[in-house]
Amino acid sequence: MIMTGQHISAKPGALKNMAALALDVGLFISEFRLCDTIAEYLADLLAQSHEDPARCANFSSLLINEIIELAFRSAIPVGRIDFNLLRNEALVRASVAFSYDRNNRAAWSSFDRSADSSGQHPAHHLMMLAQAIGVSLDIEIDGDDRVTLIADFLPREAVR
Amino acid sequence: MSRQTSSFSAEFNEINQEIVLSGRMRPRSVQEIASVINMVRRSLAESGSTAYVNVKRLTHMNMTAFRCLAEVLKSACEQKPQRMIVVVTSSVIAWSAPLFQTLASTQPNLSVEIYDSAFYPGQTFVEDESFIPILRTQTKMTWRHEREILPRHGLRDGLTIADICCGIGDFATLIKRQFNPTRLVALDHSKKSLEYARRVAAEFGLNSIEYTYGDASQMLLADNQFDFVTCRHSLQIFDRPDVLLRELYRICKPGGRVYITNEKNSHCLGEPHSETIRWTYEQVAKLFSHFDMDVEMGPKSRRLLNDAGFDAIKVESFMVTNLDGDPQDFADVIEAWETVYAGQMAVRRGDTPDFIRRFRQGFKDHVLAALHPKGYAGWPIWAASGRKPY
Repeated sequence: MIMTGQHISAKPGALKNMAALALDVGLFISEFRLCDTIAEYLADLLAQSHEDPARCANFSSLLINEIIELAFRSAIPVGRIDFNLLRNEALVRASVAFSYDRNNRAAWSSFDRSADSSGQHPAHHLMMLAQAIGVSLDIEIDGDDRVTLIADFLPREAVR
Repeated sequence: MSRQTSSFSAEFNEINQEIVLSGRMRPRSVQEIASVINMVRRSLAESGSTAYVNVKRLTHMNMTAFRCLAEVLKSACEQKPQRMIVVVTSSVIAWSAPLFQTLASTQPNLSVEIYDSAFYPGQTFVEDESFIPILRTQTKMTWRHEREILPRHGLRDGLTIADICCGIGDFATLIKRQFNPTRLVALDHSKKSLEYARRVAAEFGLNSIEYTYGDASQMLLADNQFDFVTCRHSLQIFDRPDVLLRELYRICKPGGRVYITNEKNSHCLGEPHSETIRWTYEQVAKLFSHFDMDVEMGPKSRRLLNDAGFDAIKVESFMVTNLDGDPQDFADVIEAWETVYAGQMAVRRGDTPDFIRRFRQGFKDHVLAALHPKGYAGWPIWAASGRKPY
């Protein structure tokens, strides 16, 4: 098993849409089981062109599930939550976008890529997990108190 | 797709000092897994100088469960600094070792081991690369029968199929060519066999077979996925065939069928020299039994399928013989059996040279029967299938 353990940068322009799912947030946070269901669904799609789809999906679903669980705990029940998969030749990008409570703006805005950061950031444990399994994780915040959690998977390198 | 977010088991084996966690642990809160965590805590408190936490079959986990387990392990490490805790993972679950390694890096008396053997008792014998040509020959011999038998068990064109314990993938390749499934997944626990399988499939231009490296008793495949699930000559080499059948049942669609083949080695036969041949194959059955494998399983297929919850069970047997094709193929297979059974397994059991000499003689006589112009040599196999109820 080889894990890259390295963060990678992708050229967003090179990424093509693979799958998109939008849900009413109220519906999403009404049922915890949806986290697992959506994670497995996205991971299965992500892995479909991998040499070993079952193992690749299992690997990817660990982090995707954690991203979705973070959204489950952090999203306010307004508007929609977006799940997206994009891909190019090298990677598959999974992203989840949702609105968070503006009272937590300071915490969300304090994103520090280092897993050794203070631990106060809502995504602290998610970052630790991503680093442990060698997947690049990014967080984008916009002015409307909406956050996008982005994981870039290099399936061929991650699962052999 | 229906999967429970948390569907796991936890056991403590006092003799091995091993806590075994398996299944899916994605609880919403720590309270959901409190009983398991308490069991782990208690077991670690009672353990001796080395304790093992086996997560080889823990297929899914969330950070709620991991952090909770990590706290228990850390606490146990600190309470008994002289005691080693070994987390046992497998390379099947690609995230497992790196994740638990983060924990081990903080505790001097905690380590992570990737342990890919001992998934089933005969693994070291079966996954020997030198066995590959013989496996191919065996499949060639059985396929002559099975391609006629399989349709009687419900196999037809256009199904979704899983071949579990696919070995070198030759059966999957034949299925692909003969029955043109819409999806075909082939799973095995030998990376070398799978490499071979992928290479052969590519040579035949069969690019759509999904080969996957996995543990048949805790597969990463979702529930209710396949119309037809095959598992050939493999239940008999697992010490817990019921566990394997439970997994085959799980991945099969309601109304779909699980097809298994198994042997009854003591019924291998030949003429001339029927007595020495019979004695040797009776010893084969005892030898496998010594290693917790049951190569007499064939006629038990009906009961096994019934106990696993299948209905509409069909059972039939067929005899592979030296008259089916080239007798030399039959002879080659028997010589390979002699090499593994007498040359490796009997030696490992500690049998005497006299026993091994007599044991080998039956194989040699079986080869002679196969190649003799008036001889007859047979290898009986039971094919059975059951339907997963709607």
